[in-house]
Amino acid sequence: MNTRNLLTIVFWSLLYVVLQVLLFRNLVLFHYGFCFVYVATILLLPFDISAVALLFTGFGVGFLVDIFYNTPGMHAAATVFTAYLRPFALRLLTPQRGYEDRNEPLIGEMGLSWLLTYIGLMVFLHHAVVFFIEASNWALWLPTLGKVLVSTLFTTTVITLLHYFRKS
Amino acid sequence: MDQLFAFIVRQRAFIFFVALEVLSLWCFFKYNNYPSAVYFNTANYYAGRLLEWQTSATQYINLRTVNSGLAEENARLHSQLAQVQNQQLSGINYKADSAVASRFQTLVAKVINNTVDQRNNFLTIDKGTADGVQPGMGVISATGVVGKVKTCSEHFSVLTSVLHSENMVSSKIRRNGEIASARWEGINPDEISLLYLSRYKSVELRDTVVTSDLNSVFPGGVPVGYVYRLKPSADGAFWDIKLRLATDFPNLAYVYVVNNRLKTEQERLEAEANPK
Repeated sequence: MNTRNLLTIVFWSLLYVVLQVLLFRNLVLFHYGFCFVYVATILLLPFDISAVALLFTGFGVGFLVDIFYNTPGMHAAATVFTAYLRPFALRLLTPQRGYEDRNEPLIGEMGLSWLLTYIGLMVFLHHAVVFFIEASNWALWLPTLGKVLVSTLFTTTVITLLHYFRKS
Repeated sequence: MDQLFAFIVRQRAFIFFVALEVLSLWCFFKYNNYPSAVYFNTANYYAGRLLEWQTSATQYINLRTVNSGLAEENARLHSQLAQVQNQQLSGINYKADSAVASRFQTLVAKVINNTVDQRNNFLTIDKGTADGVQPGMGVISATGVVGKVKTCSEHFSVLTSVLHSENMVSSKIRRNGEIASARWEGINPDEISLLYLSRYKSVELRDTVVTSDLNSVFPGGVPVGYVYRLKPSADGAFWDIKLRLATDFPNLAYVYVVNNRLKTEQERLEAEANPK
């Protein structure tokens, strides 16, 4: 990884968090559709990043978002969980040619259907943890599951669309 | 020993994963149950400044709603004033001590952060300990109750809104003075439940529910909501009542922090009388 790549990654990570805090935090569809676009920060890191670095990035980003939601630890827990499962998800979704000639989970390298599956799966896991921790109560499981599904669709769409700008 | 070390190195991702999860969840549940430090929420100086700046850029959007709320408040205060002037000479022989009568002081604050869609909702206002705000104070808006101060930094405070699972508001029906408790059920930000009102007490649709005098946080008589759904509860012992919230939470712009100057005195006295 050269310096230019690193700078690009840091720039996009900051952008995702800023978008989350200033824009998507105030944009909730019908009290059910939330967009946690900041998850993209850990989803779109290069393939060769170490598992430990991934965990700490996830914790840092999650905690920063938590400060603005007044939920210290909730987004951090969900993001660390997602970061831990990322290597397993990548192994599960290994394309036929493997990852040898590819560096990052971006559309130019992986194709749209792979990307949608990967982002959708990870975002679903993340949102499930966020909303079930938030509810802290199984009595509300139906509305919570509704939130998870609607928000997964919303976040996956936004991350995929934003990611087209990142490609260039 | 070498084997143990090799094991730790091999499993380091898993170990860090568990450690970070424990840390996060501990923070989360501790924060929800106890008053906590001000660094990791929106009372934080930098977070507060950022939100203040964001609010100053977007506050013009809901001016229309803010105005109608203020007009409504004016109308209500006018009618109360007329009522007080009429009542003063007649009626029962009760005169409040001037310190008790003037125990509530209000301070205007601007809402710089507000959520209504989380399970537990918080607001951030731009007044803190420097302006005399302390944890535990009540907060009301032009149209009704808002919440309770949770933590303060020097210039900002975080409130738990009425839309928070831990907040119960001691309420009464204005028409007949029946006492009950209002609590949010966690889904709809326009609606709150009124609990523990016996089936044998009278309540009607469109009754106004206000804060009772049995709490030291809010002044009595601040609107909580208006009855709009009413049926006997499943076990038949209580009413199942839903209120339309008096405060329009999604469009909240300015609030009043209420300082009860005799709160400590009242609570100390109650604690002395009933030691736990």
